Amino acid sequence: MGFALTTEQFDAFLAGLARDYDIYAPKRLAGKGAFSGTDLIAYAPVQSLAEIVFDRKTFYSPKEILLPISQTLFYFTEEAYREPQQQQRPVIIFLRPCDVHAVKRLDQIYLHNGDQADPYYRERREKVKFFVMECTEGFDSCFCVSMGTNRTGEYAVFLRLEADRVLCDARPEFTPALAAYGREAPFTPAFIEQNKISVKTPEKIAPAVYGHPLWSEYDSRCIACGRCNVCCPTCTCFTMQDIFYEDNPRCGERRRVWAGCMIDGFTDLAGGHSFRNKYGERMRFKALHKVYDFKKRFGDHMCVGCGRCDDVCPEYISFSRIINRLAEVSDDE
Amino acid sequence: MDVNTKKIIKNAWRVTKERGVTCLRIRVPGGHLEVKYLDLLKEIAEKYGNGTVHLTTRQGFEIPGIQMNKIDEINQMLAPVIQGLEMELGVPVTDETAGYPAAGTRNVAACIGNRVCPFANFDTTKLAGKVEALIYPNDFHVKIAISGCPNDCIKGHLHDIGVMGMVEPVYNQQRCIGCQACVKNCRQVSTGALSFVNYKVRRDPLRCTGCGECVLKCPAAAWTRGKQSYRLVIMGRTGKKNPRLARPFLEWADETVVLQVIKNMYAYIDRHIDRSLPKEHVGYIVDRTGYPVFREEALAGVTLNPEARVAAWMDWSGYRYERTSNMV
Amino acid sequence: MNNPYLPVKAKILDIQKQTAIDYTFRLAAGLHVQSGQFVELSIPRVGEAPISVSDFGDGFIEMTIRRVGKLTNVVHELKPGEELFIRGPYGHGFPLEQFRGRHLVVAAGGTGLAPVKSVLNRYYHNPEEVKSLNLLAGFKSPADVLFAAELEKWAQKFSVTVTVDKGDENWTGNVGLITGYVQKLVLSNPAGTQVIVVGPPLMMKFTIREILGLGVPPENIWVSFERKMCCGLGKCGHCKIGDTYVCLDGPVFNYTRAGQLVD
Repeated sequence: MGFALTTEQFDAFLAGLARDYDIYAPKRLAGKGAFSGTDLIAYAPVQSLAEIVFDRKTFYSPKEILLPISQTLFYFTEEAYREPQQQQRPVIIFLRPCDVHAVKRLDQIYLHNGDQADPYYRERREKVKFFVMECTEGFDSCFCVSMGTNRTGEYAVFLRLEADRVLCDARPEFTPALAAYGREAPFTPAFIEQNKISVKTPEKIAPAVYGHPLWSEYDSRCIACGRCNVCCPTCTCFTMQDIFYEDNPRCGERRRVWAGCMIDGFTDLAGGHSFRNKYGERMRFKALHKVYDFKKRFGDHMCVGCGRCDDVCPEYISFSRIINRLAEVSDDE
Repeated sequence: MDVNTKKIIKNAWRVTKERGVTCLRIRVPGGHLEVKYLDLLKEIAEKYGNGTVHLTTRQGFEIPGIQMNKIDEINQMLAPVIQGLEMELGVPVTDETAGYPAAGTRNVAACIGNRVCPFANFDTTKLAGKVEALIYPNDFHVKIAISGCPNDCIKGHLHDIGVMGMVEPVYNQQRCIGCQACVKNCRQVSTGALSFVNYKVRRDPLRCTGCGECVLKCPAAAWTRGKQSYRLVIMGRTGKKNPRLARPFLEWADETVVLQVIKNMYAYIDRHIDRSLPKEHVGYIVDRTGYPVFREEALAGVTLNPEARVAAWMDWSGYRYERTSNMV
Repeated sequence: MNNPYLPVKAKILDIQKQTAIDYTFRLAAGLHVQSGQFVELSIPRVGEAPISVSDFGDGFIEMTIRRVGKLTNVVHELKPGEELFIRGPYGHGFPLEQFRGRHLVVAAGGTGLAPVKSVLNRYYHNPEEVKSLNLLAGFKSPADVLFAAELEKWAQKFSVTVTVDKGDENWTGNVGLITGYVQKLVLSNPAGTQVIVVGPPLMMKFTIREILGLGVPPENIWVSFERKMCCGLGKCGHCKIGDTYVCLDGPVFNYTRAGQLVD
């Protein structure tokens, strides 16, 4: 059902929601960019429409709300372990359609890969409502249309920001709240239909593609910093860490933190062996995971074409170009 | 030909090796200017000079080959440059058609700073402008340079005062993925102030120079920028007697402190300079009074911000070309 | 919540020192294990790591653990009666039903002998389950030989060839790489022979090449992969190769699949 709200009405609507939900949205964090004098656009709690950044893509994706960068799995005391109190409040996330698809990819790994769902992820996931921000223009590095992630119907509220009002399409759960603050108005969500960049994903990977010279370019270009992993809304890997408290070494905790396949140490075995020591090999591994392997296993590509990895790469490596080159050499082989 | 060389030198004109021919020195505070000023400099060089300009080590221009009898005429022409590059910064100039009001205190140089450079911790040109407004015009021979980070690309370490941008790195361990990019990099390019303990990063605040490298290297924004401040190194110099690198005087000092200290240094010079000499560099004055006197007077009336640290003593080091030059 | 990350305590019943750096720990645990599976072993506050189960029985499991890092250094300091934490078992083990009534060759390099120890013991106790069994076990040096007592015991029931890369003055046995002994195998019916190859990556690669050279079809070859399986649950991503998760789909693979996996 469609609604129109003035910005003041929308703020009142948000204030009402804030009683029951933690609300996260793209926000300008002043001075928090890596370079001095720059801001960071990232997910953070918001209270009003004015705080929500609509005209920029976030540097980091909303996945950190569902999958904290560092998450305590349990605490150890001297003789026992204890799970952390899960007191997560329900969460509303303002996000674009591509990022909604990205959450579906997280679901695939954390809920459906293997026969046991991840309880920590599930706990948070069940409490999340999507408020989808209409995105009809996209950004320079986006290729969601090629990845089929430009449209989504999976939202609690879909919203379009206009000069002095917000148009919403709401699922029944949120229609009473919207009706209380705004007025009914017909609204049909729109989606981006063409990006500046398009990609062709490979159909079939021949064995020769694994050793193709295409990858060796990245042996020297890539610096294995892992920004592409960290910023990716669909990278799901983590590493376990056990720590002890310095003032009481008999107590500690086991936690998991994000890991990245581009970063040194990802494959290290205790005995000293490791795999994919060359950065080009890691690039090949990541690329195939995003646009080949995942689909083979689960049916959809992992990559949602948000283009963040292109935006954040300090070495100006374009992942969309990698996808297209991969498709080319796959056709050739 | 009768020319008051003392007067023209203070007016930023040179006495050159060629009789009757002078050279005009243009100040560019912070080394950054709008290109519109280049048109005028080009016109002067073509019309009065020999069609060339020299880029000085201090980021100014020298326009050579000008007849001394054209000085007044060219001073008139310079008004827009003096207006735009000096008065707009707040430099008090009583008559902008009379050329530069002083030349002793040299152009305040700055690296390109955070308008371009990813490593810079602040806008160096902007601070250079504030310093210029604070100390110019002045006849004391003082050299100040400003760098965006402790790399000190502008070589503040060869200046009476070198200012370097510092930033307090703020660590959010919840965001740290333990990749150790910051730890490895700090060891490689900076001071090794970071260590990895219990899968998280620990920073030794006494080793940290506030260079900001950890913030730049962090893929997850676990390190972000906190308070921006400055390191002040003092009394570096080249010269024919006793060249030496500047030594740290203040670190983690805020802008107010830096500007006050620079201002106080001029009062210190005024109080102690040997006026029997044609000129005396501040470093040699400090050699005479000793560091404790300098420190006391430089910090007079200054309220240090709580994080600021001051050098308790100085080991000037450097070397003398002539071993017994101090024997008088 | 039903939390698969939570480990359970397991008391150490016995510790056998195999070599200076390889100890076999027998833990009290009532797990239902298949040969070739692994568990996540941990000491709270120190760390967690995947370790293959080398043997198991009523109320116990055994793991042969090499001292190679932070966690295993601490594990090696433990004494019988002390406790470790485990969760699992995880993954797919060896397809014993496929070996039934067949000739079986087991080629193990170094600690690769651990994950197949329970297979060998099974056939030691139930020799009628396979037509023949031929074990080739290679180690770096005489000091690295694992399960010396078992090797002697197994030799009573089936063919056992132990070789070391480099001998010493007291070593009277075979010297040379395991691949050399694979070449010398005489298989009466290669197509009807099942082969297990477990060991370091290079050893597996070259051993498999020799096995294929003997005429054994790829689908008869079984390998076990060692990867960094942080979670064992298909979540952490460290053990992923292509579209395969070693922790879920392995660690034991048929070579027709394993041969396609490019790290």
